[in-house]
Amino acid sequence: MHTIALPRQTIKFSYDIGAGENLLNILVGQQIFIESPCGGRGSCGKCKIKHLGGDLPPLSDDEKERLTPKEIAEGIRLACLIYPTGDLEIDIVDQEENHQVLTGGYVPEYEPNPAIRKKTIEIIKPTLEDQTPYELLFARALGMDQLPWDVLRQIIMGEGTYTGVFNQDQLIGIEKGDTRERLYGVAVDIGTTTVVAALIDLRTGDEIDSEAAINAQKNFGQDVLTRITYVLDQGKEGRDQLQTAIVDSLNEMLHTMCERQQISPSLIYEIAIAANCTMMHMVLGVNPLSIGKAPYAPIFVGAKDIKARDVGLTALSPFGRVYCLPAVSSYIGADIVAGAYVAGLHNRKDKVLFIDIGTNGEIVLSDGEKLVSCSCAAGPALEGMNISCGMRAADGAIEEVYFEKEQGFDLKVIGDKAPLGLCGSGIMAAIRELLKHGFITARGNIVKPEELEAGDPRLPYIDLDGKKRRIRIGEGPHKVLITQGDVRQVQLAKSAILSGFVALVKAMDLTFSDLDEVIVAGQFGAHLSVESLVGTDILPKAVRDKITYIGNSSKTGAYLALMSLETRREMIKLARDFNYLELSVTKGYERLFAECSQFKVK
Amino acid sequence: MKVMVKSKEELLQQLSDSVFEMDDENVADVAKEYIAAGYEALDGVLKGLVDGMNRAGQMYEEEEYFVTDLLVCSDAMYNGLDVLREHLPQEKAAGAVNYKCVIGVVEGDTHDIGKNLVRIMLETAGFEMYDLGRDVPLQSFVQKAKDVDAQLICLSTLMTTTMPGMKEVVDILVKEGIRDKVKVMIGGGPLSQAYCNQINADGYAVNATGAVTLAKQLVGMA
Repeated sequence: MHTIALPRQTIKFSYDIGAGENLLNILVGQQIFIESPCGGRGSCGKCKIKHLGGDLPPLSDDEKERLTPKEIAEGIRLACLIYPTGDLEIDIVDQEENHQVLTGGYVPEYEPNPAIRKKTIEIIKPTLEDQTPYELLFARALGMDQLPWDVLRQIIMGEGTYTGVFNQDQLIGIEKGDTRERLYGVAVDIGTTTVVAALIDLRTGDEIDSEAAINAQKNFGQDVLTRITYVLDQGKEGRDQLQTAIVDSLNEMLHTMCERQQISPSLIYEIAIAANCTMMHMVLGVNPLSIGKAPYAPIFVGAKDIKARDVGLTALSPFGRVYCLPAVSSYIGADIVAGAYVAGLHNRKDKVLFIDIGTNGEIVLSDGEKLVSCSCAAGPALEGMNISCGMRAADGAIEEVYFEKEQGFDLKVIGDKAPLGLCGSGIMAAIRELLKHGFITARGNIVKPEELEAGDPRLPYIDLDGKKRRIRIGEGPHKVLITQGDVRQVQLAKSAILSGFVALVKAMDLTFSDLDEVIVAGQFGAHLSVESLVGTDILPKAVRDKITYIGNSSKTGAYLALMSLETRREMIKLARDFNYLELSVTKGYERLFAECSQFKVK
Repeated sequence: MKVMVKSKEELLQQLSDSVFEMDDENVADVAKEYIAAGYEALDGVLKGLVDGMNRAGQMYEEEEYFVTDLLVCSDAMYNGLDVLREHLPQEKAAGAVNYKCVIGVVEGDTHDIGKNLVRIMLETAGFEMYDLGRDVPLQSFVQKAKDVDAQLICLSTLMTTTMPGMKEVVDILVKEGIRDKVKVMIGGGPLSQAYCNQINADGYAVNATGAVTLAKQLVGMA
């Protein structure tokens, strides 16, 4: 038997040369983690160690290629490329410097107190005279009576400094050496369309990196209901496929961030997830069918604290946790609870309306005492779907539109390319301008050219397709047209959201002018200007000066849950305080919907 | 001064226009004026209110009217109907066929604006409508159809998750041996003619006006 010592970390252990393992694997086997983004394939050159003493084979060509002459002179080697042949003394090179701290949307103040914490202990090896079991040695040092079974399974005979990893009061793992400096978590927002993850340094609360991806479940359907129907048709197998799709996405995103930041995934101990109710069911592999049918009762809404491996999340510490934020109901998910919390609805005394605009529009209204929420089926039109010239926000998408009597339409196109179509914000901007300049009436009709006088500046832009009228707002390879049908799609979405808004305000016996603030949340909402929101009458013009933006408050809520146990408790309480107004059974809703379908912009 | 009594044609036009122009506030007054002048209530309904609703349906077909416009038109129509109803002849003309239709949103779904629109349009077209509302247990459709001797069942849903319920209604009709007596028509956002064929329903309509044409065709209404 030979030994490897890490004097700086006060670690010394023995190993078996005969096993023929590379140094990286030997260290990992001792729970000594070195950043190895490529997974020990010798390609990234990150698993640097410093050779202090003992025998090592000569530098390989791969090492020469990946190390600088200065590093070579200092005795730096790559752990995955060396196979130790005897007693060895090394040091781990600290690589976690110069992380760029990214700033996101609004983050409220909080008292840092993460669920995950670390504690170091010293273990003195048992002797023949004192054969105290390791369990007791560790337990005593950690101030416990015994160790949980799954932690026992991690313990390897040895001595020196160890670090216990705790999830609140629960010991979840033991690591060799003093690893207190390395403590990461990930805040995740799973949207139906996009997934966002942020890598967080739990010691400082800094967001070190973030990653966004399209939800891989899109292959099973664009919207929540279609995916639920997929499970309905395919049963357990379908449920597994949907879970695997999102879990694989998350693992990949975590790996990407770890690689970019040169952090070993094993240093991530917790993932906090905010998501809508369906996504939360799906990521945990819980049957979502009941969400998709009246009376729309989900299987669960409560917060969950689960071993990440149990749901297939592997790109983190083997004993890492996943924390799911609490939801209210099928249609008011953890994403909205998170958002309402970030907006401060749990402790504000003024009258605040929180609105997340997407395929479903969720609205929460607080009058300082009570919370009422509703969900409106807006459909995908506001995001540019179901629109004849709709497209996603990519090169060639019109994102802003202005109309001037003399110059006609002035377009802002992503990538400064010829216009191909309209993305969500472009549709909104176009409808806003068309209403403002009288191309469209308050009832949503495109004006008839025969009703306009000769020389009217609008006339050249009104196209006829048989009897149907269309407005030509741009010319690229093809005409970019807004059809009557497009206006109707936007009108449906707008009616749904505005009627929910009005119904909530009425339910609280308030008027628009009573509202102190209207907070617009969500990735998509952030791209809708006040001008477009009010100019298309999605939000009433009476609240124009009260509109503020909060960004991806779902992700921020997940961040807070990672960083502070108090916020977790407060969010759970907040979720319980929600009242829900089911619009479809609200008296007079149909009439309200009809009233709200008018574009009252003048 | 003597008040000029308006001609029947003029008042019928006003009733029709009130519905067509979504004037749900004045339509009752026009209807009262029409009755006070001694004109037939039935004509007031068919050549006035229903005519207005049909014109509105036409505009909807041409995308000139929005869904919600039709809803307001129907409010106006019902306001007028409230006045005229008590003056309608009580007895049906001998030999007149009564076309009965059971309609509802299938179990598990509560979205009913589309269903309401179809009910209104079918009612306007002369069907005797039995509206079971939303989230209707599947057996209830069949039971109601048997109870009232309906020739037509209209099933609506906006959600993909509840579509299988439509097939089940067809299956229940088969099981109870009355499939040949009742036609089944389906409609709603996620549906298609292909789905209609797949579940052996009798017809699919893409919107409320299409539903009227189809319903008439299915029951053989002139």
